Amino acid sequence: MEIMLSKTYDVVVIGSGPAGATTARVASNLGLKVLLVDKRQELGAPVQCSGAVSRHALEAVGIIADDEFVLENIFGFGIFNQNGEEKIIDYRKLKPEEYGNGEDQKPLGFVVDRRRFDRYLMTQAERAGAEVWLKTEALGYQTSIDGTCEVKLIHFNKNISIKTRVLVGADGLQSQVGKWAGLHTHIKLNELASCLQYVVDGVETDGLLEIITGQHWAPGGYAWVFPKGHGYAEIGLGVARTMTPHDARWHLDYFMKNSFFKERFQNARILEIQGGGVPLAAPLKTQFADNLVLVGDAARHVNPITGGGIHTAVQSGQIAANFLAELFESGQKPTKQNLKGYQDNWLAESGNLMWKLYHEKTAIFKNKDIDQRDDLLFKTMSDYFSPYSEYKKI
Amino acid sequence: MTKKKPVVFQIGWNACIHCGACVGVCPQEPGFISAFDTIAVNTPCDIACMACVEICPVSTISYENVPEPKQLSWE
Repeated sequence: MEIMLSKTYDVVVIGSGPAGATTARVASNLGLKVLLVDKRQELGAPVQCSGAVSRHALEAVGIIADDEFVLENIFGFGIFNQNGEEKIIDYRKLKPEEYGNGEDQKPLGFVVDRRRFDRYLMTQAERAGAEVWLKTEALGYQTSIDGTCEVKLIHFNKNISIKTRVLVGADGLQSQVGKWAGLHTHIKLNELASCLQYVVDGVETDGLLEIITGQHWAPGGYAWVFPKGHGYAEIGLGVARTMTPHDARWHLDYFMKNSFFKERFQNARILEIQGGGVPLAAPLKTQFADNLVLVGDAARHVNPITGGGIHTAVQSGQIAANFLAELFESGQKPTKQNLKGYQDNWLAESGNLMWKLYHEKTAIFKNKDIDQRDDLLFKTMSDYFSPYSEYKKI
Repeated sequence: MTKKKPVVFQIGWNACIHCGACVGVCPQEPGFISAFDTIAVNTPCDIACMACVEICPVSTISYENVPEPKQLSWE
């Protein structure tokens, strides 16, 4: 039995992560009729992300830091080469009047709890007027002659069919929505970092995101140590499987036992184990089809050097929502031709810089000389996080 | 070019951390997934590129060749 709802939505968003929930919130605020669905019963879990995001990135899309999801304030970076030589970029020292925990000071960014962060963003979308259904999986869609499309959903084992003008695929790395439209969303093996991280007790941190480069520790990627709130830390790494015979777990254990941080890690007690694939890839070349656009990880809106994807996800959600509201306002149909404007807006706002970063990253890993490659990656990471980087807002 | 033989994937669920990386690299048609953020199990894959096996951060995807249909003989 299938239930056909008579209501027509302006936008149906598949997936309530940062990209989807931001699309839904901004679109609702602009007066659109929005349905946001997610297949899970609780958002954000299993966690597949380290949770680092800049304050600027959140403020730019109207998200205010909240105790509900902030695990720890971040004030800068520590970049390490394979031998443990470090470059510290601590904004508490660079701009002491601006950055710190004092009342008139601010953090540079945050490590968030993705379970709470995603729930918070969904709540904001609901409060803006979006309908949200959990435990709802999307099974497919079909364009209709009247210019809308029909989306098949399953919600607590009940088949439901709904009409919408635009379907937004925000279903992450594993995106199926893009595949429905015939878009080649899968990522090449050499461009998806295979990542594993442990949330640990017994490892001290100091408000910095620490990044450890070097083929010896994380071939094709890097290792990280992030503060995780409550005195906990997060130790993780990502590797390119085309550059190593070992899996991420082997590398993480090797890094913890053998690196220049081994004394620091010797009392580490594992509290959580999380993993994921992080695209170090180019953005998807086509992020739209008739009645359909992709946002966030589904469109590979991920920084190809850092693997950071929260900033890029919420940004693309906002761009998509603004674009769709304008499109509907102008009376144009959401055809493939017209939806290309979303991608153009995205490219202008951040995509073109992301492409440039991708070419930089590719050039580094094309270098066959390991020492040179290590030096290049360390330098690129150090430059990237410097206050003078041209990529500051990516 | 040799045509790859179809395989069937299996997942050691005890080690699976449901990270979705295997689906992220999978070039199969939509729907080649399980209910647990992984590639489909017990379903023949005729692409057999093994990207999912390689990407798994905890090496918990294995595979078997699909048995070839027995040749009928008239002897």
